[in-house]
This record gives sequence, C-alpha cells and structure tokens, in this order.
Amino acid sequence: MSYPAILLALALAVAALFAASLMVGPAGLPASASLRALFGAEGRALVLVMQEIRLPRALLAAAVGAALGLAGAAMQGLLRNPLAEPGLLGVSAAAALGAVVALQTGLAAAFALALPVAALAGAGLAAGLMLAVAGPRGGTLALILAGIALSALAGAATALVLNLSPNPFAAAEIVFWTMGSLRDRAMSHLWLALPFLALGAAMLLTARRGLDALTLGEEAAATMGTGLVRLRILVVGGTAALVGAATAVAGAIGFVGLVVPHLVRPLCGGLPSRSLPAAALGGAAMLLAADLATRLLAPERDLKLGVVTALIGAPFFLHLILRTARAEA
Amino acid sequence: MTLLALDQLTVMRGGSAAVASASLAVGPGEVVGLIGPNGAGKTTLLRAALGLLPVAAGRSSLAALPAAARARAVAFLPQGRTIAWPVTVADLVALGRLPHGGGPGRLAAGDRAAVGRALAATGLAGLAGRIATELSGGEQARALMARALAQEAPLLLADEPVAGLDPAAQLAALATFGGLARAGRAVVVTLHDLGLAARACTRLVMMQAGRIVADGTAAEVLTDARLAAVFGIRAFRATTAAGPIVQPLEVV
Repeated sequence: MSYPAILLALALAVAALFAASLMVGPAGLPASASLRALFGAEGRALVLVMQEIRLPRALLAAAVGAALGLAGAAMQGLLRNPLAEPGLLGVSAAAALGAVVALQTGLAAAFALALPVAALAGAGLAAGLMLAVAGPRGGTLALILAGIALSALAGAATALVLNLSPNPFAAAEIVFWTMGSLRDRAMSHLWLALPFLALGAAMLLTARRGLDALTLGEEAAATMGTGLVRLRILVVGGTAALVGAATAVAGAIGFVGLVVPHLVRPLCGGLPSRSLPAAALGGAAMLLAADLATRLLAPERDLKLGVVTALIGAPFFLHLILRTARAEA
Repeated sequence: MTLLALDQLTVMRGGSAAVASASLAVGPGEVVGLIGPNGAGKTTLLRAALGLLPVAAGRSSLAALPAAARARAVAFLPQGRTIAWPVTVADLVALGRLPHGGGPGRLAAGDRAAVGRALAATGLAGLAGRIATELSGGEQARALMARALAQEAPLLLADEPVAGLDPAAQLAALATFGGLARAGRAVVVTLHDLGLAARACTRLVMMQAGRIVADGTAAEVLTDARLAAVFGIRAFRATTAAGPIVQPLEVV
C-alpha cells in the first residue's frame, strides 16, 4: 500500500471505532436514535447521554490515543531507539503525582477540574526541568538519565503519599486513578487538554524533518543543517505537552506510545516524518478500541483503560518481538 | 577561491591539544588525502572544521557559516555508519537533499536527478528499493556515501569512507572523488591505505599528534624519514608506468 493509502485506512479505522464508541454503552440505545440525539433531535435524556457522556468519552479516547502514539513515535525518533516511550521523560509520572496530591488533599473535590489542573501543574514542572536538560549543555544520554531519575522521584513521592495516607478511601481512589480511565469525563476535560495537545502536536510535526535527518546520526544531521538543540527542545517540549495533558485527563495509560510506532513503522517505510502522523492515527484507533473493550468485556464493572491497554499491548508486543527475532535469526 | 580555510585551528581535549595550530586551505579541483596514524587528530580536525566541536583557538571558514548555508557548502560523511531506521536506499539517499528543501517523499526534479546521479556513482541504482539496514556492511557504506554525494555540496569531507570496502568499491569510491574534483569540486578524505592515498589524491596532508607535519604531493610527503618518524614503518616506494606504488613492509 502507498503511504497516503495507509493514512486513509488508519483514518477510516479511527472513524469506524469512533462511531462504535458513540453507539456502545450501558444505556443500550438504538443506533438511529443515538445519532439523532447526538445532533439534539431526540428526547432530553437521550440528548444528555449522547452529548454529555458518550461524545466527550469518544473524543477524549481519540485525542489521548493520538497524543500518546505521536509522542511515542517522536521520542523513538529523537533517541533513535525503538524502546523509547513517552513515559521516559518522567512527565507522566509527575502528572500522576500532581493528581495524587490533589486527591489526597481533597483539592480534587473543591472544583470540577481541580484534579486535571493539578496534574497539568505537575507535568509542567517536570517539563521545565527536562527542557533545561535538553538545552545547549545537555545531550541525549543526559536526557534519558534525567527522565529516569525524575520518574523514580515522582513515583517515590506518589508511593509516599499512599504510604502515609490516613484515609483508605483516598488511597483506593488514588490507586484506581493511576490505572487510567475515560469514564465520567466531560467536555470541559477536553477543552482543558486541547490547547496543550494542539501545541504539542504542532511542535512535534515541526520537528519531523529534523528527526528524519537524525536517521544518519547526530553529526551527519548537524552538518545537514539540523539544529540539534532546537530539535531536542521541540521534541521534549512537544512530548511533555502531549503526555502531560493526556495523563491529566485520562490517568496513566501505558503501552500505546511504545507499541503503536512499532506497528506503523514498517508500513510507512521507517522514516520518522512518515511514522508520526500514522502513529497518531494508530494511537487514536488503539485507544478507542481499548476503551470499547473496557465497556464490552465487563459492562457491569469499571474495568480500567490502562489495565486493558497493558493486558492487550504487552502480549502483542512480545509476539512482535519474537517474530522479529525469528526473522533475524 | 577556497572551499575550506583553517587558520591556526586548535582543539583541546583532556588538557592536551587534539589538534594544534592546524592551518589548511582547500580549493576546487583537489582531492586532499588526510593521513596519519590512529589518534593523530584526523577525525577531530574534520569535526572541528565543520563546527561540530568547540575550538580553543583559530578559526574555520565552514564553522563560521550559519547551519543552513554550511549544509549547502559542505557535505560530511562521518566514520560511524549510522542508519537508525529500516528505510529504503532511495529514501536514505534522498535525505541528502534536506539542505536543498527536498527530502524523502518531496523531491523536486532537480532533487530526483541528484539522487539518481548519487545512486549511479555508487553503483546502487539496482538496490534503490531495498531496505538499507538489511544490506551488507559494504553496501550500507556505499549507500551512506551516496547520501553525502546527493547533497552535491562544493566540498565533501569523508572520514574513512573506504574502510571495510572490497577493492573494487574502494577504487570506485576514490574514482568518484576524482570525478568530483575534475568537475570543480573538492574532497578531503581520511585514509589509512597509503598506497591508495598516494595514487588517488592530488595532495596529501600528514598529521602527527594533532599537528600537520607535511602538506604536498605524495612524493613530497611520503618520504622514508616521515614514514619512519610518523607511522613507524618502512615501505617499498616506486614510480611505475601505472603510477606511484607505496607498500608498507615492516614496523621499524
């Protein structure tokens, strides 16, 4: 298949899964009535279900999935390593810490968007630190090590909050939040995340020619006119904006950013500039599918999205690795 | 007109000078062979000339250029042969067009012609559709050289481009460099094969411990005294109907 055909096929898959996401839910509405309600032409209750519950959920699944896929492809391109993933920067761990602090202190109950705002604040602090490391005096290795240190620090702080939590209900809530979910999200969550998602996507798409040049190594890329510091700042800043916003509204969702770039890369001829848009579409499709799975597999239970992506993603990833290993042997 | 001018270039590393007060001018039509034992500072000289390393003193005409202008003034073929992703040879070579606004998937007619010339010069036209990372080491080296050629800059700096290539590919690479020089461009190439250097370069620059110790024709530079003092070897040297022959014989 040609590259435009692949993008079209992925876009069609996203559209189909998006439609399915709107049609499936505990309310058990007929498809035609759901569609009419989406555009406000049905009874009040139905309109409420479609516009206030299912539409934001489907939109968030698509946006968060696209953000994670895009960020994963960009990080792998920057580090020239297929094992890189957006969580490597420590931004998602810091966002989770912000959310956990909001839950523990009761701030989350103070106003509707307190939790995602606190998570964004945590992500912003981490992003500032990582941007300093990515600057003129930093390097790729320093970036990876700083990300690992930051993740460990944020993880330990989160564990400390749980450890010392006097309130078992808050502790349970924290544990469930960190598993990632798109349940009970409103359009306001989308509006909160959207500016950061748009900024991050714009930064990463600006970086794609530079990421292509990096295929030849840092020195060759630099002599072809690629500003390495500018490229690092674009990719680290863009990834931080995407992952921070995604984690703030959806919690920690693993594996999408790692697996999706692997899936689309061979289809697009390997180059980062082509993998980036395909990974965004692939990530949207994967997260829409995983969110559908949480509703179809256990409609009565609140199956967490991050659990499902890891449960499906990890065995699939192992299968891919084994197949690649066999092909190379 | 000079394509590269180094003036008293000095690079410090770990308290000592990796390159010490190196001055060099390269003009159109030259194939300059940069020779010297391991650790003499050949690679450091090339990297500093390109502005990839901080310079303690002196200046390089290329390092003074803005990045975009430099990318059109000089192409660099690094020693480390990096191909990070499984891309086709055609896409890999097309990366050489990035400084001209082209690149994989967006080649104008001029870019496409340059990629075609580079593939033909390296004998890779038949492999254009293959995945570069699945090729042999020698084929990958040729594909990376084709990328540097596709950049079509007036000057090419190539760091050990023929290491690990078979004899035919080595001769073809040097013949390509000669062709570039005859077309009014210039090449600076680091080489360990003194025989190849003597035959294929219009001029040799010899380095030892960070200093340029000799600069001239092969006959001027490759004297018995210098081969012994700089390389620690004795070599058979002769001028034949088929050109100069230099064959290292033993360590002295």
